[in-house]
Amino acid sequence: MKAVKGSFFFGGVHIRDNKSLSKDASIERLPEPPEVKIAMSQSLGRPAVPCVSAGDKVAKGQLIARGDGAISSDVFASISGEVTGIETLANECGNTDTFVAIRGDGEGREQYLPPLSDPSPEEIVKRVRDAGIVGLGGAGFPTAVKLTPKMKVDTFIINGAECEPYLTRDYRIMKEHTDEVVRGARYMAKALGVENIMIGIELNKPDCIEAFEKYDDIKVVALRKIYPMGGEKQLIYSATKRKVKLGQLPADAGVIVNNAATCLAVCEAVELGKPDCEAILTVSGRSIARPANVCVPVGTPISYIVEQCGGEAEAPKKAVLGGPMTGVAVKSYDLYIKKTSSGVLLLTEKEAAADEPTACLNCGLCADNCPMHLMPMNTAFYSSAGDIDNAVKLGGTMYCIECGVCEYVCPAKRPLIQAIRNTKAAVRAREKGGK
Amino acid sequence: MNSSIVISTPPHIKSKRTTKKIMLDVLIALAPAAICGIVYFLLDALILEITCVAFAVLAEFVYFFIAKGGLNVRFANRDTRELAKKIRQLKKQGQPYNEEQKQLTALRAELRKQAFAKSGNVCKKWACQFDFTSVVTGLILALIISPATHWYEAAIGAVFAIVVVKMVFGGTGKNIANPAAVGRVFMMLSFTAMTTYTAAHFGAIDGGTVAAGATYLTGPLKDGNPDAMSLLDLFLGTGLAGCIGETCKLALIVGYLYLVIRRVIKWWQPVLYIGVAGLMSVALNGFDFTLFLPYILSGGLMFGGIFMMTDYVTSPKGLYAQIVYYAVGGILTAVLRQVTPIEVVSFVIVVMNLIVPLLDNFIRRRPFGYVKEKKNKEAEK
Repeated sequence: MKAVKGSFFFGGVHIRDNKSLSKDASIERLPEPPEVKIAMSQSLGRPAVPCVSAGDKVAKGQLIARGDGAISSDVFASISGEVTGIETLANECGNTDTFVAIRGDGEGREQYLPPLSDPSPEEIVKRVRDAGIVGLGGAGFPTAVKLTPKMKVDTFIINGAECEPYLTRDYRIMKEHTDEVVRGARYMAKALGVENIMIGIELNKPDCIEAFEKYDDIKVVALRKIYPMGGEKQLIYSATKRKVKLGQLPADAGVIVNNAATCLAVCEAVELGKPDCEAILTVSGRSIARPANVCVPVGTPISYIVEQCGGEAEAPKKAVLGGPMTGVAVKSYDLYIKKTSSGVLLLTEKEAAADEPTACLNCGLCADNCPMHLMPMNTAFYSSAGDIDNAVKLGGTMYCIECGVCEYVCPAKRPLIQAIRNTKAAVRAREKGGK
Repeated sequence: MNSSIVISTPPHIKSKRTTKKIMLDVLIALAPAAICGIVYFLLDALILEITCVAFAVLAEFVYFFIAKGGLNVRFANRDTRELAKKIRQLKKQGQPYNEEQKQLTALRAELRKQAFAKSGNVCKKWACQFDFTSVVTGLILALIISPATHWYEAAIGAVFAIVVVKMVFGGTGKNIANPAAVGRVFMMLSFTAMTTYTAAHFGAIDGGTVAAGATYLTGPLKDGNPDAMSLLDLFLGTGLAGCIGETCKLALIVGYLYLVIRRVIKWWQPVLYIGVAGLMSVALNGFDFTLFLPYILSGGLMFGGIFMMTDYVTSPKGLYAQIVYYAVGGILTAVLRQVTPIEVVSFVIVVMNLIVPLLDNFIRRRPFGYVKEKKNKEAEK
């Protein structure tokens, strides 16, 4: 259907997106790494429990760990080979995690689920759960849980905004796998019993908008190029003019949002029976010799990806997993790709700001640009004084989506996100202590 | 892999905008007004501008130097005192004390070196954190005082503005009222020269002193003076008596456009303030709309609205609070102008600045997707 314009909301900021670095590089499948280490906590919720032990032979797509609880997801072997051990290693968040290490044997054995043709809604939900698919937008919420909402849902939105600078994964997926994305979305809409399928794409991807306009059952919404357009609440408002009320889920507003990459994964799971064991991600930044979009098995070491992309062109100042606005800065390349990884960025000193924070000017730019209409400076001010009550009351901290806009625009370079996270942690700790 | 990689919380990229750049933008926007002031009031204006800026920066530096312990250095300690005592005793006894004297000199040199290093570090720190805010304050103060002011009065005003209004409260971003506005109010209450104005040396009326009555309105127009100035003269400030930077409205509008283009201020903020002030005064004078233009073009209304009301530090942060702030400020200006002959804009700005914390507290922003709490309670029931 012909694209319509998204509705306007206050807040957000224009960021130079630097997508041209990797925009024209099509998704390439890197040669299989000799060894992968697959983290057990691939999604929200508790880590999965390994069901293989050292010495077992596994095939690609074979179940190696079962989800523990409702919002935990299954984990699958991503290459064929032999399990060399179950190890406890550091993960990118600074904690430790259980990893299953698999050494590849190069035989390329595959053990997929049986393909489905013309599945019923129940079959789709079951397949999505069995294939361990999680939301690939970043949070890693298991998709099967999203597909079984408790309330009535009437709209399904594909999130193709990709508002994060540098990342071009969704762009390449939408461009190269348009048909698969649409089919995956149709499967999910069928599972939800929803007719209305929309896709939100930012105006800086005109070729994607054009590609999706060909489908009659997909409503294309052309969104302003502003960060954070891909934030769930902002996207829902732009596409449907519905506001997700504070403390509620999108499903309460009758909307389910899924990332374009998740749609592709669902399509592959239904039609090919392929479990979620590969990640497509963008390797970019001016420190990497060859920016690219790559498809790698889950558990591939970052050092391997950097090496395959030509190594460092110059010494990076920051290495980031995910996008530059919300991703995690890492200190070492000895980390392993997860299902939800969307990018590996090596930023030069020029790109990665490291200015010393100066005194808060009280200018209010953070509040002006906040897409959630909060007052980050109040949070920072009161939390620095240890006054958590006022920080939450006057700053609206608990509604923060941590998009990073406030800190991006701050002329004094104050660490606002740090203050917000500290406040949130303090409130949670107090709630726990109280109960 | 190398050790130069740093980690931090996101976001990992930041905008290029810094406090320094914003303040430089404000200075650039003030430049036309400052230059016009020099053209209109010649040497008087130049001296006042230089004095204000220099004393503002100096006051900030001295305060910083003292507050950060630049003076808290010692040139003597226990060792030197004991050595000196010993030398005195030796002198008394008539014994040789060359060895001790040498030791003492060396110790003192070492102490002096340490003290200077400490003071030097404080100076360096000041240079690092210097963000042009004091320059902006000094220049604004210079532009809103009468050219008849003596330079030492201006210097006292600048020092008062910086030390008492800004630094005592904690420096950049912590002052509760606009330093320049308070400085001007202080000077007005303290020095008589502030209430005398010289007409611009440039244009219709040459030289001459216009006594008492800053606002053009309180003078000729209100009393039905037939020699009322033309709107063009008011706009360009030619032959107009007034403060250094407030006379030429053209220069102010150029500065306003620059600030808007650079996104330092929002375009509607001064427009709202000046517009409300103009309309309110029209309403107070029996809806005589011919008064609108002379009213908004006279006195310090335009300068105050563009450069002082919009001061980041002392204006509210939420959109609705801002609207209330500018509108109430405008109404207050119009009403006060009606009842008093002195220039009220700086007073109004100070009063509005002081109620900003209240506005910020009571007119709170609602988060995106906010639900009224009452409704929430009903839902729970």
